[in-house]
Amino acid sequence: MTRRRFWQVFMMLCGFIIWAVQFTLIYGATSTTCALEVAETRLLGIGIVPAVIAAVTLAAFLCTAGVLTYALREHRRLQSGNAGVTDIFLSQAAILISAFSIAAIVWQGLPALILPACA
Amino acid sequence: MNVPETQKSFGRDGSEFPNPLPRPKDELQKLKRAWEPPRGLSFITAVNNTYVGQWYVGTAFLFFVLAGILSLIMRAQLAAPESDLVSHSLYNQLFTMHGTVMMFLFAVPAVEAASVYLLPNMQAARDLPFPRLSAYAFWAYFVGGLVFFTTIFFGLAPNSGWFMYPPLSSLKYSPADNADWWLLGIGFIEISAIAGAIEIIVGVMKTRAVGMSLDKMPIYSWAMLVFAAMIIVGFPAIILGTLLLELERAFDWPFFIAERGGDPLLWQHLFWFFGHPEVYIIFIPATGMVSMIVPAMAQTPLVGYRFIVLALVATGFLSFGLWVHHMFATGLPKMSLSFFSAASTAVAVPSGIQVFAWIATIASGRMNLTTPSLFIIGFLFIFTLGGLTGVMVAMAPFDWQAHDTYFIVAHLHYVLIGGMVFPLFAAFYYWVPVASTRALSECVGRWVFGLMFVGVNVTFFPMHITGLIGMPRRVYTYPVGMGWDELNLISTVGAFMIAAGVALFIYDMIRNFRPTLDDNAGNVWNAGTLEWLPNSNYGTRTIPVVKSREPLWDQPGLADDVDAGRYYLPGTVTGGRETLVTSPFDARPQYILQVPGPGWQPFLAAVFTAAFFLLLTVKAVILSAICGVLALGFVIWWLWETDLGPIRPPADIGGGLTVPVYVTGSMNHSWWAMIALMVVCGMIFTCLVFSYLFLWLVNPASWPPSGTVMPGFLPGSTAGGLYVASAILVAVASRHLRGDDRRSPSSVPLLLAGAVVLLATGSTLDLWTHWQTALSPSAHAYGAAVYGIIAFQILFVGTSVIMGLYTIARWLAGKLDSVRRATFDNTMLFWYYTVGQGTAGLLVVYGFPKLVGGA
Ligand code: HEM
Repeated sequence: MTRRRFWQVFMMLCGFIIWAVQFTLIYGATSTTCALEVAETRLLGIGIVPAVIAAVTLAAFLCTAGVLTYALREHRRLQSGNAGVTDIFLSQAAILISAFSIAAIVWQGLPALILPACA
Repeated sequence: MNVPETQKSFGRDGSEFPNPLPRPKDELQKLKRAWEPPRGLSFITAVNNTYVGQWYVGTAFLFFVLAGILSLIMRAQLAAPESDLVSHSLYNQLFTMHGTVMMFLFAVPAVEAASVYLLPNMQAARDLPFPRLSAYAFWAYFVGGLVFFTTIFFGLAPNSGWFMYPPLSSLKYSPADNADWWLLGIGFIEISAIAGAIEIIVGVMKTRAVGMSLDKMPIYSWAMLVFAAMIIVGFPAIILGTLLLELERAFDWPFFIAERGGDPLLWQHLFWFFGHPEVYIIFIPATGMVSMIVPAMAQTPLVGYRFIVLALVATGFLSFGLWVHHMFATGLPKMSLSFFSAASTAVAVPSGIQVFAWIATIASGRMNLTTPSLFIIGFLFIFTLGGLTGVMVAMAPFDWQAHDTYFIVAHLHYVLIGGMVFPLFAAFYYWVPVASTRALSECVGRWVFGLMFVGVNVTFFPMHITGLIGMPRRVYTYPVGMGWDELNLISTVGAFMIAAGVALFIYDMIRNFRPTLDDNAGNVWNAGTLEWLPNSNYGTRTIPVVKSREPLWDQPGLADDVDAGRYYLPGTVTGGRETLVTSPFDARPQYILQVPGPGWQPFLAAVFTAAFFLLLTVKAVILSAICGVLALGFVIWWLWETDLGPIRPPADIGGGLTVPVYVTGSMNHSWWAMIALMVVCGMIFTCLVFSYLFLWLVNPASWPPSGTVMPGFLPGSTAGGLYVASAILVAVASRHLRGDDRRSPSSVPLLLAGAVVLLATGSTLDLWTHWQTALSPSAHAYGAAVYGIIAFQILFVGTSVIMGLYTIARWLAGKLDSVRRATFDNTMLFWYYTVGQGTAGLLVVYGFPKLVGGA
């Protein structure tokens, strides 16, 4: 697999990879802080758990939005040149997947706004 | 290699095809001879996908029938209240075996089996890249599965439910061997599933028709790729889980025993991290089948190809974020539960996308109401209903009400039967003409469908209500007057209707299924994909160039041209079995893969592997060890015959293309398989580290427990240094083994021998150090976790040592040089992995307790 192909596949899957990282981090942070009984700690008046979830979700959102922008630009560039069908296909897949992931990432972070951390 | 960047296009004028006509007289004969199946008793040594695929599907279906019979016995028992047809203890075995056999011996193997048969045909490959591996996986499953099933006749069958929760399945509450049968039997069958998955990944990525770039790959191939990727990521969790539980049962290492720092919830995490993706692992290939059948039935291309690919990939990822939804009732923090609730509802979106794409396809064409179509419609209806109840139970508060009631039994059967059994029956009716001289009967097929469709709804719909009015699952009987009597009777009647449908299907098969190699019923549905090309034991006569997703619709005359020998590789260039490897993205010809033929080794290796595990279950340790050694011996013998090297110069396959018959490095198919294997190993290790961290969170104040003597940093860092040094020796050996001159310097075996010694010393030192501190694996979960990591590393070091010695033996036999070095490359990759894993393990074991301040 050439480096270019590797990059294309990575970009295609990137949205979901970011979702997976977000998921692991927020679940890991909640479980760990609850188990160690430090979840009640507050930073600037916000509970540590919602703060971490919000930060991670925001970061994940921004990264995925970046991937989507990149994929859109790449797609436009490929279409204007005479790129191969596989390249175009991979860039389309990257657009669809990162757009879908953005929704999944926001959805994943919502509970932090509603629920208590360790109840 | 002179492979052009863009594919030429071929017209109807013969001269423009890669190979001119007429073909040399003996070309086809030679091809046929190379692929001739073995005769007589050695018939069972056949390894190619046409045979193994059909045996595999047949065996999976046998397990469907067997597990079905168990469910009929249960339904007969539950037909009336206070019945005593079967005893309490037998009922426990019945539902455990029914669930286990359906999930592990029917559902996953059936979809894997179908793809062993279908994938090469659909991609116009002559075979899968590792036919002996498929044969091994099949026989291991066949022997292991059947022996496992017979335990029900001796009262030895597992009885703690298909998910085997400790403490019920722990030694204290299940002292007999029943649980061990599950742990060793199923753990071992998972290994066979993983072998199949690796085969599928490499097959999909590397053995496709020329020009079948990613955007033209059949959706079924995409589905199988996602399926296989999910297996290699998800199954390691259950393999680790079964290992830990078996270690606990056999040696009293308390991973799940709360009094000694363990936690039964750890099992639930490991089980469901595998178990929920498992449901999608079963469902995704079925959707792949549906996406192939719907266009053929509607006679129009699939609508929304890209969206379906998105949906498959999305399901593959999201389904790993659902596992805790099986643990909503375990008292985890609500916030944690809600993450899983969110992912559980999100995963409905990709399934919805697929359903809409199928409906749009049906709407844009004219659906013929054939038997496969009926099963597809049945699938859409039943699966959607199951999906709806799925969204209901994804809400934690609803789940707390429905948990462990018949509502869940109804939900799981709606999704499993709708999502997998109906598509599978559609697939039987659809694809039998590829394998048989006759298609199945449309008339009988309608009856089969009718009985099954009505039967499933009659059986399982009432269970929603029985569940909501309070009937728990897994009860062998119930008292009169609970209001459950009529509903249960109706369910039982439905179950027997399903059975009648299945029996009628078997009758149809007996009457019409006539397996054939060269004389199949042909493209009876006027489908557009390559499995409908004329084929034989060697697949298609030539490897076509495809220009669309439905080449048979868009390239008139393709079937005749392929069969006449006009496309690539019309004969055999090495005189043996071979298939064309194409590049993973654009499907350009890369090289000719020399495919191994029939042999006793995979069969015997599989039988002895099965015997090893099964004898271990009944604690016949010595006999089991002998079988283990024999299995290993046969595997080595089988491998010895592979890696043939460039037995001839690059060969002309037509169209001015000359491709080598041997390559090494990242282009080689076994390199890809090795990478996939390393993902599996890496996942097992990750789950092990997760278990370690999980147990720490259970015991934050005693990690390690007070009184534990922690070893200093010196032994740990020495062991790590030895590991890294061994990897350096291997890297140096690799450098010495470079060049086109087929050199084979004697430094290579010496360096490898040195590496073997260093690696083995490193892990021995690690073990010895801990032993010296008197840390006990059975006193506390801490010790169990530490020794778990060490033992796992020893297993890998042992394997690396065997591989190192094997590679040295290849050198001694003159079978290893700077060109013929695929064996060396595999050993090298595995070596690096072992060293990486060992180093990470040392960091955890020595460093983590210090980090958290416990020592
Ligand atoms: C074909 C008709 C089928 C019938 C009549 C049927 C019937 C049953 C019954 C009566 C139970 C036990 C319920 C209890 O006591 O809690 C059960 C459990 C189960 N069935 Fe089926 N089943 C069928 C097909 C399937 C299929 C195709 C699958 C999977 C692919 C499957 C998977 C399971 C599982 C996983 C369980 C749970 C076992 C446990 O509680 O440990 N069943 N089924």
